[in-house]
Amino acid sequence: MSRSPFSGVLGWVRERLPIDAVMEFASHKKVPSYEGSIWYYLGGISLFLFVIQLTTGILLMMYYQPGIQTAFESVRFIVVYVKFGWLVRSIHQWSANLMIFTVFLHMFSVFFTGAFRKPRELTWLTGMVLLALCLGFGFSGYLLPWNTLAFFATKVGTAMPAVVPFFGKGILELLRGGKEVGAETLVRFFGLHVAILPATFTLILGAHLLFVQIQGMHEPHSWEQLPQSKKRYMPFFPNFVLRDLLVWLIVLNLLAILAVMFPWELGVKANPAAPAPAGIKPEWYFLFMYQALKYFPAKLGPFEGEVVGILFFGAAGFLWALVPFWDTRLPQGARNRILTWTGIVVIVAMIVLTVIGLK
Amino acid sequence: MNATRNLIAAAVLFTAFQACAAAPSRAAAPQDQCLSCHEDEPQGVAFKKDIHHLRGVTCAGCHGGDPTSDDMDKAMSKAAGFRGKIAKSDIIAVCGQCHGKADTPWRHRYQLTDVADSLEASVHGEALASNPNGPQCVSCHGVHNIVPVDDPASPVHPTHVVKTCASCHSNARYMRDFNPSLPVDQYEKYVTSVHGQLNAKGDPKPATCVSCHSNHMIVRVKDPRSPVYATQIPITCAHCHSNAKYMAQYHIPTDQFENYRQSVHGKALMERSDLNAPACNSCHGNHGAIPPGAASMVAVCGNCHGANADLFQKSEHRAAFEKKGIAGCVGCHGNHRILPPSDSLVGFSPNGPCVKCHQDNPADSTTAQIVHLRALLDSLSVGKAEADSALDRASRLGMDVSDAQYALKGAHQALVQSRVAIHSFRVAALAAVARPGIKIIEEARAAGNSAIHEYHFRRQGLAVSTLIVTVLAILLWLKLRQIERR
Repeated sequence: MSRSPFSGVLGWVRERLPIDAVMEFASHKKVPSYEGSIWYYLGGISLFLFVIQLTTGILLMMYYQPGIQTAFESVRFIVVYVKFGWLVRSIHQWSANLMIFTVFLHMFSVFFTGAFRKPRELTWLTGMVLLALCLGFGFSGYLLPWNTLAFFATKVGTAMPAVVPFFGKGILELLRGGKEVGAETLVRFFGLHVAILPATFTLILGAHLLFVQIQGMHEPHSWEQLPQSKKRYMPFFPNFVLRDLLVWLIVLNLLAILAVMFPWELGVKANPAAPAPAGIKPEWYFLFMYQALKYFPAKLGPFEGEVVGILFFGAAGFLWALVPFWDTRLPQGARNRILTWTGIVVIVAMIVLTVIGLK
Repeated sequence: MNATRNLIAAAVLFTAFQACAAAPSRAAAPQDQCLSCHEDEPQGVAFKKDIHHLRGVTCAGCHGGDPTSDDMDKAMSKAAGFRGKIAKSDIIAVCGQCHGKADTPWRHRYQLTDVADSLEASVHGEALASNPNGPQCVSCHGVHNIVPVDDPASPVHPTHVVKTCASCHSNARYMRDFNPSLPVDQYEKYVTSVHGQLNAKGDPKPATCVSCHSNHMIVRVKDPRSPVYATQIPITCAHCHSNAKYMAQYHIPTDQFENYRQSVHGKALMERSDLNAPACNSCHGNHGAIPPGAASMVAVCGNCHGANADLFQKSEHRAAFEKKGIAGCVGCHGNHRILPPSDSLVGFSPNGPCVKCHQDNPADSTTAQIVHLRALLDSLSVGKAEADSALDRASRLGMDVSDAQYALKGAHQALVQSRVAIHSFRVAALAAVARPGIKIIEEARAAGNSAIHEYHFRRQGLAVSTLIVTVLAILLWLKLRQIERR
């Protein structure tokens, strides 16, 4: 009986690496199977989109030239002259937005199912850092084509930290590489987008995935209460992996349709000397904060309203990230209704503010 | 209704007449004691023929004093308002007592207008304000021998007014004190003009200085209120030249203005206020206005259309046109009603200019040349429109074709140059400027079509890839079901 080339290669690797142990681990790993299992796929989708980001980002980097004289032109060259360059850029843009969307969904699903509780506090914390890094990816990448909208949105965005007491100006100059958004900012954002953020993201993502593998899938409190006979599991390999793959294929189709049917426009090259066009807005994932800041009064006691607003969002984000440590219902594992309602209010506020901001 | 109107008119006239009673009247003439002494002096002799004397205005009307008193001390006393010889600076004010204001009570009776006000506001009034030697009423109308304008003896009668104006305007020494940059050869030119020649024969109808520049309210040519301001010139000329009755005796057409207004020049000047566009005087001259002759027509048009005229002058058509008595540019483009040039001027269309001399004979080499010339122009104009359309369509589909759109501007340049080069009437000369443009057009059209093709290719590619991924997903789902059934 002849051996297939695949089994030959597998045998060759098996002699050198303990893949049997990995296979053994995977074959014993189980995933709870119930109506809420759908939330388990969000992490995988985010991971899939990150891989697409990484791949398309590397391809774009082969032609992209940071610099106020070259950035816009090089992106235009990619879109117009590079074979399938338009597709790569469009996929990069769409997958970035979808990734931020799914990471948000993933975070909220973990929040509402209480999956952040002991022993998964570190998984939650690394996840929150990954979410912040995703927003950092979006913010830094938005400027890179050096078009008018990106330029002025970055100008507004980088000016926000300047209101932070004591450190504000320092943060602003650190971000911009000077007092104004210019060539230094572009190079700085490029470095952030293609080196610092990916490296940090990959490391933390590795830790996040490692924690998930070590601790297994979270089982909700209601599911845990079921008798053993009523609990249904599916093997992680191949069942869950193949289901993940199926979802990825669906996401890939969606991504291809969006990228082809609605290619991301390049816009007009930024002219720092020109006045800001009307209706400058940040990307949709920052819009709820941008819109909310408009509702803060100019003065709140002795403080500037904008300062209070920014500090409020900073504090709220910080508290949100530390939720595993202050959720008082933690020992019982029961659902915290106040927390659930807080989460619902936050989601509704985010959606409403974003919709108002988009108008 | 008419009766009421007549009654009102009579009342107005009566009121005007009553008002005139306040002014010196013919009835007062016998009491003009001034002439008792000054009768034989030149002023007195002249004044007896003066319109003012004939209408009852006494010497006192201007010089003041009491004309009824035969006592010289009383009549010429300051108490009686005698002012003696009128200072130059006071002349307009003195004439203006009667002729000055719009509200002068007797203006209706003597058809007087606010001429003194107008004069003061005019360029002459401005000159007078800066220099007492400047022009004023008496400079044109005379002093004691003033006669009505329609009197052939008047210095402002149409047959004399040009010389009257020239008495200052042809005097370089005098004009230097007021406007050294103003030419002083207007009169020299005028006498050479058709207007001047007729005027010299005693015809009062042709245009004189005042016909175009107006009389009292003369403003600078660059002043938009001037009848000879660039945009006003066609209207000013049309006052006479579009008046069929007025022009009847000269046997020339009166449709020039209507034709001009529809022309490319007329639309530019009168609708878009493009002051670079030619008015009547640009071709006919202004002071020395004459219709350009057939031979000089190319030179006239060539003042602005230099390159076209130059090529025409060097072409075979120049001699051929002269031989046939065709007036250069006018032969193809017309004169007053010059429409925007179209490529259809070249070829054998029934109303085109070529068929006036050439026959559409396929065996004739000239016919082939004309067809070739037209084909080159069409390749540019039609080709450019097609390329534009392809790029526009691609652009609307969301494809970036801005490089090709920018490059296509070069084709427009080639088209403009070709429309100039056509005046050489040589295929080789036209092809030399047209071919680079045709190449640009072909490339732009290809870029547009390629972008449209690429757009469809992307959608087809999406359909295929979506199908493949969907099939894969279905196969995976089937495999999953198979695994989970075990």
